[in-house]
Amino acid sequence: MSAPAIDRRSFLQAGAAAAGGLLVSVWWRPAVVGAAEQAGTSAALTAFVEIAPDGTVTITAPRPETGQGVKTSMAMLVAEELDADWARVRVKDAEILDEGRYLDQFTGGSTSVSESFLPLRRAGAAARALLVGAAAESWGVEPASCETEPGVVLHRASGRRAEYGTLAARAVGKTPPESAPLKDPARFRIIGKETRSVDHREVVTGATRYGLDVRVPGMRVAVVARCPVLGGRLKSFDAARAAAVPGVRAVVPLEPAAATLPSGRPLTTGAGVAVIADSTWAALAGRSRLTVEWEEGAGVSESTPALSRQLAALVGEPSKVSLRSDGDFEAAFSGASLRHESVYEIPFVAASPMEPCNATASVSGGKCELWAPTQAPGNARAFAGAALGLPRDAWASSVTVHPLRPGGGFGRRLDQDYAAEAAAVAKAAGVPVQLLWTREDELRHGLYRTTSAHRLRAGLDAQGKPVAWEHRVASPSRYRYQKSSSPAQSSEVTADDFPAGRVANFRVGWSEAESLVPRGYFRSMVPGMSLFPIESFLDELAHAARKDPVAFRLALAGDAAKLPYKGHGTETLETARLRKVLETAADRARWGGKLPAGRHRGVAFGLVFGAYVAEVVELSVAKGDIRVHKVVAAVDCGLVVNPAGAVKQIESGVMDGLALALRLAITFEKGRVVQENFGDYAFLRMREAPAIEVHLIDSGEPPVGLGEMGVPPASPAVANAVFAATGTRLRRLPMRLPEAG
Amino acid sequence: MARFTLNVNGTARPVEAEPDTPLLWVLRDGLALTGTKYGCGVGLCGACTVHLDGAAIRSCVTPISSIGASRVTTIEGLGAKGLHPCQRAWIEEDVAQCGYCQPGQIMTAASLLAYRPRPTDAEIDDAMSGNLCRCGTYARIRKAIHRAAAAGTASRNGAGR
Repeated sequence: MSAPAIDRRSFLQAGAAAAGGLLVSVWWRPAVVGAAEQAGTSAALTAFVEIAPDGTVTITAPRPETGQGVKTSMAMLVAEELDADWARVRVKDAEILDEGRYLDQFTGGSTSVSESFLPLRRAGAAARALLVGAAAESWGVEPASCETEPGVVLHRASGRRAEYGTLAARAVGKTPPESAPLKDPARFRIIGKETRSVDHREVVTGATRYGLDVRVPGMRVAVVARCPVLGGRLKSFDAARAAAVPGVRAVVPLEPAAATLPSGRPLTTGAGVAVIADSTWAALAGRSRLTVEWEEGAGVSESTPALSRQLAALVGEPSKVSLRSDGDFEAAFSGASLRHESVYEIPFVAASPMEPCNATASVSGGKCELWAPTQAPGNARAFAGAALGLPRDAWASSVTVHPLRPGGGFGRRLDQDYAAEAAAVAKAAGVPVQLLWTREDELRHGLYRTTSAHRLRAGLDAQGKPVAWEHRVASPSRYRYQKSSSPAQSSEVTADDFPAGRVANFRVGWSEAESLVPRGYFRSMVPGMSLFPIESFLDELAHAARKDPVAFRLALAGDAAKLPYKGHGTETLETARLRKVLETAADRARWGGKLPAGRHRGVAFGLVFGAYVAEVVELSVAKGDIRVHKVVAAVDCGLVVNPAGAVKQIESGVMDGLALALRLAITFEKGRVVQENFGDYAFLRMREAPAIEVHLIDSGEPPVGLGEMGVPPASPAVANAVFAATGTRLRRLPMRLPEAG
Repeated sequence: MARFTLNVNGTARPVEAEPDTPLLWVLRDGLALTGTKYGCGVGLCGACTVHLDGAAIRSCVTPISSIGASRVTTIEGLGAKGLHPCQRAWIEEDVAQCGYCQPGQIMTAASLLAYRPRPTDAEIDDAMSGNLCRCGTYARIRKAIHRAAAAGTASRNGAGR
């Protein structure tokens, strides 16, 4: 197995743990530490291993758990090399943002497992070496003559053995070796074993402390009234009726923030009226009694139909930015035996985790203490620091961040406008404040994964083989504000996605659309948008060529090759791995086999952030109602650290993909979000949940994460199955058949 | 403000609140019982589910003035004598991901099993479809309910003692 390149020096230190046990802190200083807000490029990690005299091993998980299982998988990496007894391992979250201690506390881009795989194993190996050293010293033998079994050091020659708990105190103050040897993967006992999440007991008893569960002495609760129109300003307000609500303590106007984040993104929060009260209900009651006049501004011109027309016009003309161009598309297209063309459209969507946005802040004397449910505590600090107008070099010393477990992430807890707003409200209030966004606030004043249109054209030769391919994308980009972004990185497409390199005359281009809608993240970002048009169109081509959709894709994937790939998570697209997941999913779904009456299948596959994923959807259509019965997924994410967690992530990703396929859209009328709550922004319910079967393929490659990989193939697989069922091709998300009631 | 005495998890709890205050906020803000969650505020997601005299209700749309002497049970009080069979089954089926909705899911499931000890898939779907899980853990929830139902039956037959 090849190791991912790691350009970092290692430093190891041992010190006394507060409990009198052994505390090993291991950190790898990066050659370059990225900006606090820089997403997906995390390069450093700190782990703490604490061993109590009774043998209990406590592992601190530095990266936030958002439900994707990293708390468990990160602890498994440490425990494996420590040779710990998993039954005696406890895992705790890092309780504070401390880059000197942990360096990297970021969860996003499905990077936690891939970036932690070596550093956390080394952390475990270093702790093991200290324990072996302590045993060897007390026995007067060479460390190399000792070995370990779970929780125990042994010296076979003399028959001596000592439990980790009894050795820990002796190892305190010793310096671990710079590089303790790592296990041969063939000897893994914990990595690769199905392991339940470590924090179920707290979750099922209601003991888990999420963002909204923090209680700070003297804390009040705040909600904010915001202009319903995008970018609107506060003109005037009358607080008399709100202030008369029992429990309301203050009503304060908020100035729009005029700050820019380190990434270059402008801070978009701040214009509104905050109602600060003793209880949540008083704050909500007060807000409902406010009289506010807004300066609506230019945002009123924003509407979904107008933006849709803009996107259609942009993909109707040559792209402004060329992202890839191989051969001569025009010549090959005009000379093709068969030409085909389609346009697809994808709406804005809100990640809308179960726990809505919230943060608790206390601001005094130029210092801010922040408790935030977050995927990226460093970003929380940046948002709060920027909102308070603090100089950037003072953020680390002025803003203390306590990361709290979020009730779901899905990308919504990367940009933390809610933390910025909490800091601003707390400053205005002069007391600690817990800021709550209601579900309506979350859907109507949030950050949205962007909308896009895709026009695809292809030419096939006489044998039905694609010889020309063009993909034009238009979108208001999420990435335009990122300083590091080249035009190629600003679009909602990865130009090297399949079938790039497999069609001789191939081009991808992008045109930027204008929109005032603030853009954010949603689980699976770019592949979550681009696979729907690409994989739907491949299916259309297969049908046009009268080929089976699986056979057509396998033929196009061709021989085993490593194609260069510029995108998140990997630098190559390996056609053999792509073929394998498709073959596996098709085989397990009995592709081509007989189905019960009324059932139909559709397939899609792709490379998602370094993992290969194929999904076969089985559905039926009755009176225009699309009902998904079963999804079979095959996934190659390299070595699987926790197969139980991996399966859960794919299950969850498939459910998100189906919601995107069938339900989710944020639309605008006169600059206002139309959707209000879970009634009209409707994730799937239990009775709509299909059976999901997940097949993991261990290719022996280095591991990548799986938080996002299940999402992208689901919507095209549904579209392709709907076509098989009805002959109708649905090219707009969320999909809706014309005859639907 | 008005004074109420609520029977919560078997204990009399005096509280002071406006009569229209939803039970959810009384539990969370007034009684520090934060296991009951806010998700939508309008009874659409079930994250706030508690029991009122054993029946699952949405505490976010239940005014405190409507409760009277009824017994309120929250996730913190569900397993008064150790974990409830649903809580155990949730652990064994490795259900939770972010976990935020799961107290509400468990409260709805526990109420279902109290009325219908061996529910069918269709009965489970009917009872549970008011509870949203943003992580999409429904298939595991369904399995966990069957497991809890089997454990409950075994326990009543004496096999689980």
